[in-house]
Amino acid sequence: MARKNGIPPQLVRLVLVTLAIIALYFTARYFMTPETFGQFGFYRGASLNEHATRPLSFAGKESCRNCHEEALQLVSQFEHKTLSCETCHGPAMSHVIDPETPLVKIEDGSCLRCHRSDPSRPSWLAQISLDDHYESDSCTDCHTPHQPNE
Amino acid sequence: MMSAYEIPATDVLPQVEGYIYPNELNLLWGDLIVLYPYITGLVAGAFILASLVRVFKVKALEPTYRLALLTSLAFLLAAPLPLLFHLGHPERSLQVMITPHLSSPMAIFGFVYAWYLMAVLLLELWFDYRKDFVLWSRYTTGPKRWLYLIFTLGVTDISEESLKYDARLCNIVTIIGIPSAFLLHGYVGFIFGSVKANPWWGNVLMPIIFIFSAIVSGIALCLFLFMIISQARRLKMDMDCLDVTAKFLFYTLIIAAAIESLDWIHRLYEAEESIHIIKTLATGKLFVSIVVIQAFLGSAVPLVLLGLIQIFKKDIAARAREWIYFLSSVLILIGVLAMRWNVVIGGQLFSKSLRGFTTYKMELAMASHEGFTMSFALVLLILPFVILWVFLKLFMPVEEPGPKGEPLTRAETSA
Repeated sequence: MARKNGIPPQLVRLVLVTLAIIALYFTARYFMTPETFGQFGFYRGASLNEHATRPLSFAGKESCRNCHEEALQLVSQFEHKTLSCETCHGPAMSHVIDPETPLVKIEDGSCLRCHRSDPSRPSWLAQISLDDHYESDSCTDCHTPHQPNE
Repeated sequence: MMSAYEIPATDVLPQVEGYIYPNELNLLWGDLIVLYPYITGLVAGAFILASLVRVFKVKALEPTYRLALLTSLAFLLAAPLPLLFHLGHPERSLQVMITPHLSSPMAIFGFVYAWYLMAVLLLELWFDYRKDFVLWSRYTTGPKRWLYLIFTLGVTDISEESLKYDARLCNIVTIIGIPSAFLLHGYVGFIFGSVKANPWWGNVLMPIIFIFSAIVSGIALCLFLFMIISQARRLKMDMDCLDVTAKFLFYTLIIAAAIESLDWIHRLYEAEESIHIIKTLATGKLFVSIVVIQAFLGSAVPLVLLGLIQIFKKDIAARAREWIYFLSSVLILIGVLAMRWNVVIGGQLFSKSLRGFTTYKMELAMASHEGFTMSFALVLLILPFVILWVFLKLFMPVEEPGPKGEPLTRAETSA
């Protein structure tokens, strides 16, 4: 292949390939950039709506009050008053929508998550060592979670 | 995988020592992220070896030139795969190039990678191989012929003038390639070095440590492969080439080991608040991988072995030197892998509270998503060797294809 205008043919070919790659990049960029990208910031604007319309799992304490006012009254007088109901009872949205849907069964693990002995926890938090303490089959045999000092 | 919140406390405590924060229980970066800097390091290192021939005109290394470039390319093609498997959504990977955020080192990696692949390695290989592609496309048949024809990009001019031009352009590409190789791997070190919240990582020396360990591992890999391939192809071992490669391996290993020692001496003397946890880590959980494998087997032993050869080369028989080179290269390759492990895994084992440790358990089970992707680490470590094997078949054939009765010699085919 002869030189065209003194430029070696391999260089001409490489320049063409480079231009093709750059063109390919910008074409891909044009077609692959999501439609709402950059609408509000460095993300897809449509993703906000997608997140907002996801099904909810947690209902919040106030939803429980509608039917369980008594239990909330009781718990608000004792140590567990700052906890959300769903901390122990689990996500409750499906139960709020349909009260027939049962909540997660509370097991000893729910109590031990906070009350198992761990030196990194503050000393005012009641903690137990399972080997020394576990006298019964279940925590709730002796303790009332809504009224822990009982 | 369960979040730390869902794991009952009874299952958690055995893997924790001292005090850690809840979100430090599970390591976010596993063995795939160990593999990623290892493979990119081998790419950069192999390229530096090739540039010793091209730019610095080290004649004795010429037999390793093409092998080094092909090794570099084979490993470069495999380099982003650990990241893709780690993220678990490989189909989203192109987004990092399509909508790159300039404050993200990972986004910039996409461009550094593309630059290194297309503007450096492929270009250099193309200029070096152009004449061969043209000749091979003439003398082969079938799909191979088509492959070589495509690789010529339609340029069949192999006049002397044209080849001279190739050589000149190839030199320019290599000169651009050296800082590019440093950039490719320096950037990997930068990613870790810029994490200022982690005293094990956040260190300005990190990119330099990574670059030199990369060069060491790349040269060791080429030395290892050169010996294996010569053996497999029943070629006479080119001792001159081996000696010079090992000499460069020794020099770069001295620099790498010196910089890493300097880092340690500096840390120990400076004795920042993190020094206690770092010392406990290095002498405890990481003792085997950092002291035994990385420092002793991966650095000290090869330094002594290669150093002795530099002094007593004339007194050591060629066969013995071969074995020492082979052993040293394997030890260095394992040592550098251990170094990557110590950086990536080690940096996540201790708590930000500097008061406790968690444990890394490698999952090889297929049952969990994490275990499934982690199992790919081994496959991904073998993959570049498979790619290289294909490259060797295609681009470094045992017998050069030539017109019947006049086989081409090496001297005739190299530009």
